[in-house]
Amino acid sequence: MTLPPVGLPHYLVLAALLFAMGLFAVITRRHAIGLLLGIELMLNAANINLVAFSRYGGLGPTTGLGPGAHLDGHIFALMVIALAACEAAVGLAIILRLYQTLATTDPNKVRAMKW
Amino acid sequence: MTWLGLTPAQWVEYAAFLAAAGASLITALGVLLAPRVLHAAIWLLFCLLSIAALYALLGAHVVFAIQVLVYAGAIAVMIVFAVLLLERGTGRGILAGSQHLFAGLVSAGALTAVLVPALAYTLWKHARAAAVSGPDTGPISGQAAAIGRLFLTRHLLAFELISVALLVAMIGALVLARPDRRRQEPPETADEAEGQADVSQWHPPLNVGAEEDAP
Repeated sequence: MTLPPVGLPHYLVLAALLFAMGLFAVITRRHAIGLLLGIELMLNAANINLVAFSRYGGLGPTTGLGPGAHLDGHIFALMVIALAACEAAVGLAIILRLYQTLATTDPNKVRAMKW
Repeated sequence: MTWLGLTPAQWVEYAAFLAAAGASLITALGVLLAPRVLHAAIWLLFCLLSIAALYALLGAHVVFAIQVLVYAGAIAVMIVFAVLLLERGTGRGILAGSQHLFAGLVSAGALTAVLVPALAYTLWKHARAAAVSGPDTGPISGQAAAIGRLFLTRHLLAFELISVALLVAMIGALVLARPDRRRQEPPETADEAEGQADVSQWHPPLNVGAEEDAP
């Protein structure tokens, strides 16, 4: 019996597990910040996929795509990290504002735009 | 010299991968199971660090550095600060709390049940072929310079858009979290707050100006 060396599928399985855990957190948390933590987990799982595909060439040969095509996944991951920073800043500002105006951080109790 | 078809160098890589992956899964479980939101946020900090170790294993040195600096250093710490501000406002620890446990288990379990067997099948079927064709690494030494060059040539539009997005998010966070000086009494409950939404003059218990330091 032979074991395959660490490759693309290992990272994809790990990212799938992390994404499922993030999804579980987003669905079950009753606190808005807990929800945000789940979203961060899901973003990181997607990032692992991007960098792993970039490393193992999941899209086939990168010749002919111009110089530096093997780093495109890294660029994508950096973009996702920057957008996650935006999301966390705005999300936390909204949660703090929510607490100021409604004195709650439970997303279920915010019904102003529900009917 | 090989054992189970792997060279010693590959065994080292295997061990490092298992350590980093196990650490990230265990810390992610900590995020899910920690009873207090503050503890969950600190678990997330360690989860982000072990994911940074995975980036290092993948040879993505720039992404590793940015993950440690921006994600673990700024985002996770900002979340911890926000939790502490809220706990100061409420005067007690914030519990994470759970709801819809069944729906969460079903959807997360279904996602895992679809993705992991499919990927595991690919692992046993194609991993050897992928390893033979060789990973597409490219030169690692000049990675930072190459990424910088790519940001200013091929991905210039994305680079400019991300600058605008960061600026908008910064201004938006400032505007949203700015203390409201027209109100006086904090409402006791959510229902009471809805009733007196236009009552003026209370000083918020939170020093939300700290939110300005968002990256």
